[in-house]
Amino acid sequence: MAFSIHTNHRVLFLLPAGIYLVLVYLCAVWPAMQEQAAMEKIPQPPENELVARGRELYGSFNCVTCHTQQIRGDERKASDNDGVRVVPVLEADARFGRELATRAEEYAWQAPVFMGTQRIGPDLSSTGRRLPEAQWHYWHLYDPQSVSPDSLMPPHRFLFTTEAPTGDAQYDYEEVQVIAGLGVSGGKLWAKPDAVALVEYLLSLNREYLETEGLGK
Amino acid sequence: MKIPVGIPVFVAAAGTDPRFAKMVSRWLVSAGVWLLFASVVGLLEAFRLIDTEILADHAWATYGRMRPVHTMTMLFGWASMALTGLAFYVVAKSTLLPMHEPLSKTELVFANMALWLFNIGVGVGAVAMCMGDLNAGREYREWPWYAMAPAFASVGICGVLFYRMVARRAVQGIYISCWFVMAGCFWIAIVVLMGYQTFWTAGIPDRIIDGFYIHNAVGMWFTPLAVGMTYYALPKLLNKPIYSYALGVLGFFTHLAFYTVIGTHHYIFTPLPMALQTTSVICSVAMIVPVWASTGNFLMTMKGERLAISHSYSLPFLLVGVLGYGLASVQGSAESLRFVQEILHFTHYTVGHAHFAMYVFVTFLIWGCIYGLVPRMTGREPPIALVTIHFWLALGGIAVYVVGLSVGGHLQGESWVDGEAFMESVRVAGPDRVWRAVGGLLMFVSHIFVFVALWKMRPGAFTMAFGGGQS
Ligand code: HEC
Ligand code: HEM
Ligand code: HEM
Repeated sequence: MAFSIHTNHRVLFLLPAGIYLVLVYLCAVWPAMQEQAAMEKIPQPPENELVARGRELYGSFNCVTCHTQQIRGDERKASDNDGVRVVPVLEADARFGRELATRAEEYAWQAPVFMGTQRIGPDLSSTGRRLPEAQWHYWHLYDPQSVSPDSLMPPHRFLFTTEAPTGDAQYDYEEVQVIAGLGVSGGKLWAKPDAVALVEYLLSLNREYLETEGLGK
Repeated sequence: MKIPVGIPVFVAAAGTDPRFAKMVSRWLVSAGVWLLFASVVGLLEAFRLIDTEILADHAWATYGRMRPVHTMTMLFGWASMALTGLAFYVVAKSTLLPMHEPLSKTELVFANMALWLFNIGVGVGAVAMCMGDLNAGREYREWPWYAMAPAFASVGICGVLFYRMVARRAVQGIYISCWFVMAGCFWIAIVVLMGYQTFWTAGIPDRIIDGFYIHNAVGMWFTPLAVGMTYYALPKLLNKPIYSYALGVLGFFTHLAFYTVIGTHHYIFTPLPMALQTTSVICSVAMIVPVWASTGNFLMTMKGERLAISHSYSLPFLLVGVLGYGLASVQGSAESLRFVQEILHFTHYTVGHAHFAMYVFVTFLIWGCIYGLVPRMTGREPPIALVTIHFWLALGGIAVYVVGLSVGGHLQGESWVDGEAFMESVRVAGPDRVWRAVGGLLMFVSHIFVFVALWKMRPGAFTMAFGGGQS
C-alpha cells in the first residue's frame, strides 16, 4: 500500500492539491478567461480625470460596503426581442429608476467593480439620472440627514471647509449653497476638491454612455 | 475541578517542550489580542448603524474603512491565527511526535518568524485601510498586497512545517486532522494567489474570481481547519475513538469536490455566466453531504456522553460549534436557492449568516479546542467560573445578534419586494440593528474573559519545571 493516501504523505498532499487545481481551473480560471475575451471586444468607455479621481475616492471611502451598483434581472422571465436578450428587473430591485437589469457590458473595463453585496443604502447604478443636481449631493455628503431624515449614511463633513479657498487651488473648490438643515454657522461652505470629484463621479452614473451604445435604459 | 475524563492535564502536559508550548501560546494570545481589537471595531460599527454621528469627523475612521478593519482582523487576525496555532499542537500530537522536541530548533525559529509575519500583516493591513488604501469591493481581500504578503508568507512557512511534521510522524497512518490542515494550507495559498492575481481584475471576470475567493476563503481555509481541529480534540476529550473514520474521509473528499465550485452563489441574478450560477446553487445544496458527514460523525461520537459534556468546561463549546457547523451550513444551502436570494440577498440576513457561521461554528470550535487542549500542553487550567461566564455570554450574545439580524433582514427584504420607499426598509430594520448592538456588546464582554483565560493558561513555572527537551 505504498501509494495509499492513508499512509503516504506525498500522496496525501498531491491528490487533494491536484484535484483542487483542476476544479479551480474549471470553475474560476477558465470562465474568467472566457469572459475576459468577451470583454476585450467591447471598446473602453471614455472617462475624464475628475470622474476617475471620484471613482478612486468612492473606493477609498469604501462606499461599496453600503451601496450596490447592480440591478438584478429575473432570468426566468427573460425574452428575446429582435435578437436582443431582454431581462426584466427582479421585483425587489424595481425601485431604482431602471427598466432593465444591469448587463455584463456595463461593467466592462471597470476596475475595481462596485457591484457590491449589501444594500444598507440604495443602489447607485443610475444615481446621476435620478439625482442630477450636484448641490443635492453636496448637501447629502455634508449631512445626509439634512435631505433624507433617518438616513444611516455617515456624514462626510471632512470633505468640506468653511474657510474660503485662496490661490490657484480655489478653482478646484465648489461653493455650496447653504440650506437651513445643514447647520453651518457663518453661512458659507465650500466643497473640497475631493468632494467635487466624488460628486462628479456620482453624476456620471447616468447611463448616457450605454444609451448611445444602444444598450438600453 | 478537573476534566472528568481522561488523564489530569498536568500529567498530559508533563514533558512538553516549553519553547514549543510558548510558541503555540504566542499564536493564541496574539489571536486573542486581535479578537479584542476587532470586537471593539465591530461594536463601533454596530453602534454607528444606530447613530451616524459617532466618530464622524475623521476620514480615517469612516464606516466604510472601519468595516474591513473589523472583518479582515476577525478573519485573519483572530480565526486564522488561532487555528494555525492550534494546528501546530494538533499535528504534533496526532503524528505522535515526541513532545519533548516536536519541532527542531531551526523549525521553531521559523514558526516564531511566521507568527510575527502574520501579526505584521494584520497590523499593517488595519493601518493601511484606515489610510484609505484598500481593495474596495473585494470582500475579505481588502488588505493591500503589502499586508497580505507577510501573512501569505507566514501560512506558507507553517504549511511547510506541518508537512515536515507529518512526514516524520511516528505512526504509519496519517490522522484525518492532518489531512485537513495540510490541504487547508495549500488551498488558502491558491485562493490568495487567485484573489491577488493581476490578470482578470476588471468587469465580469473580476466578479467570477470574487465569488470564488469569498467562498473558498471561508470554505477551504476556516472550515477545514476548524473541522480538522475538532476531529482531534473531540475524541481526545471524550477519551474514545471517532465514531466513523470512513465518514471523515468521505467528508474530506466531498468537501473538496463541492465547496470549491459554489462561489458564484454570491452572484445569483447577475450577468455572470448562467452555467456557473446554476452549478453553484446545485453544489451549495450538495454541501449537505460533507457538512453532515462531519457533523453527524461528531454528534455520534458525543452520543451517550451527556455526563462528560455537562461536567467539562471545553466540551460544551465543541457541542455548540458542531451544531453551529451543521445548522449554519444548512442555512447557507437554503440561502443559495433562487427564491430565497430574491428576498434575502443584500439584506442584514446575510450578515446574520456570516456571524452564525464564523461565530457559532468556527469561533466556538476554536474556543472548545483552546480550553480542551491548551491545558494539556501547559499544565495550567483557566479559571472555571470565567469559562462558564464566557460560554453563556457568548452564546446569549450571538443568539440575540443572529436572531435580530435575521428578523431585520426579512423585514428589509419584504419591504423591497412590496415596493415601498427605500427609506422604509431602512426604518423597518432599525430595532433589529439595536438588538444586534446589544448582542455584540455581550459578545465583546465575553471576549475579555477569553483573553484573561488565555493569559492564565500561558506556559509558566510548571512547563519550565516539568517540560522536556531542549531547555
Ligand atoms: C453606512 C452605510 C453607508 C455608507 C458607508 C455610504 N452610504 Fe450612501 N446612503 C446610505 C443610506 C442608508 C442611504 C439612503 C438614505 C439617504 O439618502 O441618505 C444612502 C444614500 C446615498 C445616496 C442617495 C442615493 C439615492 O438614490 O437616494 C448617494 C448618492 C450616496 N448615498 C452616496 C454615497 C457615497 C458617495 C458614499 C461613500 C463616500 C456613501 N454613500 C457611503 C448608506 C451609506
Ligand atoms: C455549505 C455551506 C454553506 C453554504 C451553501 C453557504 C451559502 C452562502 C450564501 C448563498 C451566501 C450569500 C448570501 C447572500 O449574499 O445573499 C453566503 C454568505 C456568506 N457565508 Fe456562507 N454558506 C455556507 C457555509 C458557510 C461557512 C461554513 C462560513 C464560515 C466559515 C460561511 C461564511 C459566509 C460569509 C462570511 C458570507 C458573507 C459573504 C458576503 O457578505 O458577501 N458560510 N453563504
Ligand atoms: C464583538 C462582536 C462582533 C460585533 C459587534 C460585530 C459587528 C459587525 C458589524 C457591525 C458588521 C457590519 C455589518 C453590516 O454591514 O451590517 C460585521 C460584519 C462582519 N463580521 Fe462581525 N462582529 C462581531 C464579531 C465577529 C466575529 C467574531 C467574526 C469572525 C470570526 C466576525 C466576522 C464578520 C464578517 C465576516 C462580517 C462581514 C459580513 C458580511 O459582509 O456579510 N464578526 N460585524
